[in-house]
Amino acid sequence: MTMEPILLRARGDKNSRTLGSYLKRGGYKALAKAIAMDPEEVIDEVKASGVRGRGGAGFPAGVKWSFVPKDLAKPTYMICNADESEPGTFKDRELILVDPHMVLEGIAIASYAIDAHTAYIYIRGEFVRETEILVKAISEARRKRYLGSDILGSGYELEIHIHRGAGAYICGEETALIESIEGKRGLPRLKPPFPAVVGVFGCPTVVNNVETLACVPHIIERGGAWFAAIGTERSTGTKLFCVSGHVERPGVYEAPMGTTFREIIEEFCGGVRGGRELKAFIPGGSSAPILPADRIDTPADFESVAEAGSMLGSGGVIVMDDTVDMVWALENLLTFYAHESCGQCTPCREGSDWALDVVRRIRRGQGRTKDIETLQRIARFASQGMTICPLGDAFCLPITSFLEHFGGEFEEAIAGAEQSVSTHLPVLPVRSDQALFEAEEVGR
Amino acid sequence: MITAMIDGQQVIVAEGTNIVEAALKTGVEIPTYCSHPGLSVVGQCRICFVEIEGMPRLVTACSTPVQDDMVIFTNSERVREARAAVMEFLLENHPLDCPVCDQAGECGLQDYSVEHGLDTTHMIDGRRTFPGFERRTIGPHVIQNQNRCIHCTRCIRFTTEISETADLTMKSRGNHSYIDTFDGAPLDNPWSACVADVCPVGALTVQEFRFRARVWHLEETGTVCPGCSIGCNVNLGHLDGVVHRFVPRANPEINGWWMCDYGRFLAQGLNDRDIDAPLQRTDDGERAISWEGALATLAALLQASPKPLVVASANFSNEALYSIKRNLLESSGMVVVVPVDAGGQRRIKNGRGEWIDGIDAHPNSTGASHLGLAAVDAVVLESYIRDGDGPLLILDAHAHPWLETEAAAAAAAGRPTAVMARRRTPVSDAASLVLPLASWAETEGTYTSSTGIVQLARRALPPAGQARPPWEVLHNLARQLGHEQQRIMSPRVLFAEMAAEVGAFAGMTFGRLMTEAGMPVHEEARGVG
Repeated sequence: MTMEPILLRARGDKNSRTLGSYLKRGGYKALAKAIAMDPEEVIDEVKASGVRGRGGAGFPAGVKWSFVPKDLAKPTYMICNADESEPGTFKDRELILVDPHMVLEGIAIASYAIDAHTAYIYIRGEFVRETEILVKAISEARRKRYLGSDILGSGYELEIHIHRGAGAYICGEETALIESIEGKRGLPRLKPPFPAVVGVFGCPTVVNNVETLACVPHIIERGGAWFAAIGTERSTGTKLFCVSGHVERPGVYEAPMGTTFREIIEEFCGGVRGGRELKAFIPGGSSAPILPADRIDTPADFESVAEAGSMLGSGGVIVMDDTVDMVWALENLLTFYAHESCGQCTPCREGSDWALDVVRRIRRGQGRTKDIETLQRIARFASQGMTICPLGDAFCLPITSFLEHFGGEFEEAIAGAEQSVSTHLPVLPVRSDQALFEAEEVGR
Repeated sequence: MITAMIDGQQVIVAEGTNIVEAALKTGVEIPTYCSHPGLSVVGQCRICFVEIEGMPRLVTACSTPVQDDMVIFTNSERVREARAAVMEFLLENHPLDCPVCDQAGECGLQDYSVEHGLDTTHMIDGRRTFPGFERRTIGPHVIQNQNRCIHCTRCIRFTTEISETADLTMKSRGNHSYIDTFDGAPLDNPWSACVADVCPVGALTVQEFRFRARVWHLEETGTVCPGCSIGCNVNLGHLDGVVHRFVPRANPEINGWWMCDYGRFLAQGLNDRDIDAPLQRTDDGERAISWEGALATLAALLQASPKPLVVASANFSNEALYSIKRNLLESSGMVVVVPVDAGGQRRIKNGRGEWIDGIDAHPNSTGASHLGLAAVDAVVLESYIRDGDGPLLILDAHAHPWLETEAAAAAAAGRPTAVMARRRTPVSDAASLVLPLASWAETEGTYTSSTGIVQLARRALPPAGQARPPWEVLHNLARQLGHEQQRIMSPRVLFAEMAAEVGAFAGMTFGRLMTEAGMPVHEEARGVG
């Protein structure tokens, strides 16, 4: 690694999760410093750092905080989004496992900046161990007055509640997450109004990703300018990259923004497994468009990846070697999105399942020439604002990018329909409509 | 006020008006499924896309308020493409069973698919189905076919926002989500059939109307519900002289877009008729009699005694009640009582989301009170009938539930009795003169709601057999009694005379009631009701 890790500095430390260990690393100093500052100054410092949302959208965090209306009679709320469910993304879990107090400190500073006295951690339901770790960390911090009433003797009060998700990917979308906290079905809301104005319980709310909040204590402690100096001009700081797939050493790696994917894949991860050829990689979690092997020298920052035709997203790098059947890979992705569509908007509800049907049929050797056109049509009309939330784009971008870069494989599969391609691959546990339905509560 | 351009036409609307409503003002209908004027906005069906100058993306018209100087295109190339695509998505899994679907003819999917859809599909894979949910009775009145559902959630929003009973909910997720009753309890609330009205497709249909008639054959007549004093506006659907259904007719002041199940299912009862010709009963037995003869007999009967008792009906129109007041009460000095029954508790939500409570079981008790007729309950009515021996004229055998009992017949025994009736009752079976009464569907008139709105109920059908509407019978009776000249009479003429004389109706005309939703009674009369 080319630089000292910041977010993962405690990795390898045996007791890194305990408050004692965190204090030894200088923990909660940033909180003390922030509370001595004016909330406006805290926001300005975060703005100066240029830190952008690490959940995938890349919106500048300080700007998001400044949207919260001041002097309202209503309370404001802070929400930490730990509903990490995007396939190929597992960095928030690592942060919670390694350094839960850093996350809590980030939440506390952010809450102070927006004058919130209640914060929620919305954590993915499957993260049982991580939930336990956070519960323990919160109680440790409360006992030592880093949380609760009268934090560090300043009179500032903050309670952090943990809300566990029930297994829906869509609840990672901030307005669906808010609905879920309110006890409703996790369906994304129409925007505007945005959560900064009307969020949870109708009050101003800021939703930030775990990694974004984990950056905050470092920004306050060492200054926005220090943070801004790391990475590229418009993508500042370090980023966690979760590398999965066909590499020798998959895992979470921290590197400054702008590190190339070649460095990430070849140096950090020891290259493609067994010395095979790289075929393609998805740079930012499964909803980001796939890139062919020749884009491996793309720097991993928001602008460069966008220029290369994809998204930095959450930093979930999925690596595929030359054994991968791209029709099968797309079917795999679509299976996930068809299962996770909330069912609210027509194009996404109908389109995700339809696209899956078509791709599944192509892989089974029953493709038709018109299928490519059908897929393109679905992808065109279920994305780009045709739906309330970006889940439409999330399943359409893979479709268009797979067809763009690997369309030949789809055409081949369709042309050789009789020869039944890719039967050597395992059959995915795809949902047969009927079987699923009978298995669920309906068949009473 | 806000000025905007819609398809090149200028439109001026109040602030907060959404694009769908604003477009309607210019005569442009933007297709909608999930959006309903009486329900909250969810913007999820995505059929109502429009293009706004300067905005990179299409926006949903239902969820976008018009802003000053907005330039909106509802029919641009981009909009047409997007609409056709959404239409194709909706039809991707929708069964092509229109020939056996009861919604056909009033189906949003059919209508917009012709207007905005493609004439072909890209879909060659199998359709999603919901085994066991094709014909499911989910409550006393509603049948669900989940295969046809387009997930607009109007029915769910109706039960949470309007009936406030939260009977329906969405279960599962994505393309497999489906409507189910909450916790498996039946959809049983006083307004449950409204979910079938708001359903834009054939996923929810009304058990009582299913497969009785194709809706494009039905004739619809705008009338008022006879079920209680609220006076919900309804359309009466009939075919070949048979009444098939009531459906609510929008009136923001009274019933919004809704009606209760009790009122709705009175419709089929309007077809019941046992008595279709005048009948005279003497010691020699029963014999048919002409209307002329019957009215002459009735007039002679009433004039034979100084104190005849007239039992009027709070189910009669203002015109009929006015005729009673003028000719029987004032000119003849008869005793007139109007029986009023409290009935069941009825409520409805108006267009502003406020509950209106019914005060009794009659569509015109308020009108009767404005006309100064004496209301009586069952106990007082019984004493009136029992304690006299003069002739008894019961103008509506169905005016009060007590009048239809054996007890009423016993109380009337010994008095020479004339009855107007539609169905046989113990009283009509014993009466010396029985006259056929026109049903609600067979008479035209105005009714005053409990909130003081005078509304017109139109005639849907000609009276069956020799039945006659009450106002006509009363006019002819008045002629026999010598209080009326021979002249052309109609509800319109009666209304004009009533408006000139009775304060509550001052300033109203029948013609305006025919074109307007209803007119509030004169200020001074409000206290009386």
